[in-house]
Amino acid sequence: MKQRIMWVLWPAFVVAAVTEVLFFAFFDPGEMLFFGNPLELSATATYSLFFFFFWVMGACSSALTCFLQRSPFEVNRCPLEPEGRPAGCPKRLSGACCD
Amino acid sequence: MDNPGGKLKVVKPEADDAEQSLYAIRQKIYPRAVTGWFATWRTTLVLLTQLVFYGLPWLMWNGRQAVLFDLVERKFYIFGLVLWPQDFIFLTGVLVISALSLFLFTAIGGRLWCGYACPQTVYTEIFLWIERMVEGDRTKQMRLDKQGFGLRKLGLKATKHGLWIALAAWTGFTFVGYFTPIHVLMGEVATFSLGPWETFWILFYGFATYGNAGWMREQVCKYMCPYARFQGVMFDKDTLIVTYDAARGEPRGARGKSVDPKAKGLGDCVDCNICVQVCPTGIDIRRGLQYECIGCAACIDGCNQVMDKMGYGRGLIRYSTENAIAGVVPADKVVKRVFRPRVMIYATVLGLIVTAWAIGLSLRTPLKLNIIRDRATLVREVEDGRLENIYRLQIMNAEERPHTYRVHVTGAAPMEVVLDKPLAVAGATTMTFPVRVRAPMESLKAGSNPVQFHLTAIEDPALSVNEKSVFFAR
Repeated sequence: MKQRIMWVLWPAFVVAAVTEVLFFAFFDPGEMLFFGNPLELSATATYSLFFFFFWVMGACSSALTCFLQRSPFEVNRCPLEPEGRPAGCPKRLSGACCD
Repeated sequence: MDNPGGKLKVVKPEADDAEQSLYAIRQKIYPRAVTGWFATWRTTLVLLTQLVFYGLPWLMWNGRQAVLFDLVERKFYIFGLVLWPQDFIFLTGVLVISALSLFLFTAIGGRLWCGYACPQTVYTEIFLWIERMVEGDRTKQMRLDKQGFGLRKLGLKATKHGLWIALAAWTGFTFVGYFTPIHVLMGEVATFSLGPWETFWILFYGFATYGNAGWMREQVCKYMCPYARFQGVMFDKDTLIVTYDAARGEPRGARGKSVDPKAKGLGDCVDCNICVQVCPTGIDIRRGLQYECIGCAACIDGCNQVMDKMGYGRGLIRYSTENAIAGVVPADKVVKRVFRPRVMIYATVLGLIVTAWAIGLSLRTPLKLNIIRDRATLVREVEDGRLENIYRLQIMNAEERPHTYRVHVTGAAPMEVVLDKPLAVAGATTMTFPVRVRAPMESLKAGSNPVQFHLTAIEDPALSVNEKSVFFAR
């Protein structure tokens, strides 16, 4: 799970950093409108919030990739042997079938 | 996928995390301290890069911070230069140049960047120094970690983490000091009046430093760094890499100093494992080139010391090329092979881009003009029967000294410019001025007529820009 979290967050972070640079280059927070109203935020706040917005969106994309890249084998049945399943898994005991 | 068919064998059934058991669980690496030529170079570069990183924001230039990326004002100050978002192309240029330099250095000498200059390596190195200073050398650290928690262990761990956190916080503070004037920031820290976002980013960057250099370490290089994965693209058989001379070393084996290895049928490798112990990523270089190798050459220093002790020649592990080790290129030709087509192409492309970038920067006019037509009134007639259009001139003075400008307009008809106030713009600022332009009706066609604005600095006529716009007539 740790690796999976890293695969989702880290590439998203890199992409967010690049997007943030482009965002800074092309948009002035002072001239931006939000549903027709000026953003009532400081430039630092705008840049910071947009950075996190880009990060979250990137993370969504990575998470979806992670989710979709599972092989049919993994989708169809648990890849772990019953005795190797984590403690607390109801299908951990051998005999309990897990398809 | 790696597992198209049958079920996976689980390596560690006692693991409490299903996913973890599919991978090797990380064993903490305790790199052994090493001295030698490469270690000295690495120390020098650590000090040099950090002197620049921690020192640069404090440097002053013309009464302001020499290097400041002012996000709020959207201006980048780099010594004598003031860059605006419009100068984005130069920033792109810097990125392209950095990437190509990386290609060039990698093709010649492998992962020089990783081993000596990458912040991940540099901060890990500094954190390791602190760790050794507090907890002692490798064996002492391992013993300490095996012990149960006592007062001594608690004290040592607290000291180590305290020092780490202090350094990380200072790093975070310095990082934010590149975006907010650092003297102001220092004052805010001293009076506990930091803004919420500044506080947040100092903590964020500090936490990232602490986590990456204190805890993640080699895992960042092994699992997170894309460069480690595509380095193979830049490598070829003539790239200088840290290599183990298997022909000389094998068969490896322990032996006394007085024993003649040839008589025992042994190679020069005494199998002391020093090369593995000093490795910050915990690999065995004797298995050949691996993507985990960050090219720090700690194993070269370690092995050389052992070779000296044994009275064998140095360089059982050394910088060499795949071709040289295989005997394809004789050892004395290795340097000559640096000037091979791949390197020459990288160098030429890099040279061209650097030249173009430098020329572009030196020819850049530190003055920009935007013309915005007034949206309220398209055209109106003034007393003397002439037509008037209203514009707003956005003048960007990218020089640090103030300027007053003169504007004149050319077009199909004689154009008169009426100003409400002189076009005076302070250094490194943008100002907008309303400007009325009048022209006789008879010499204009109905609809839009192309016109051109010419803006010239009064004190420096060489400083001028032209900008197109239109004049509406009816």
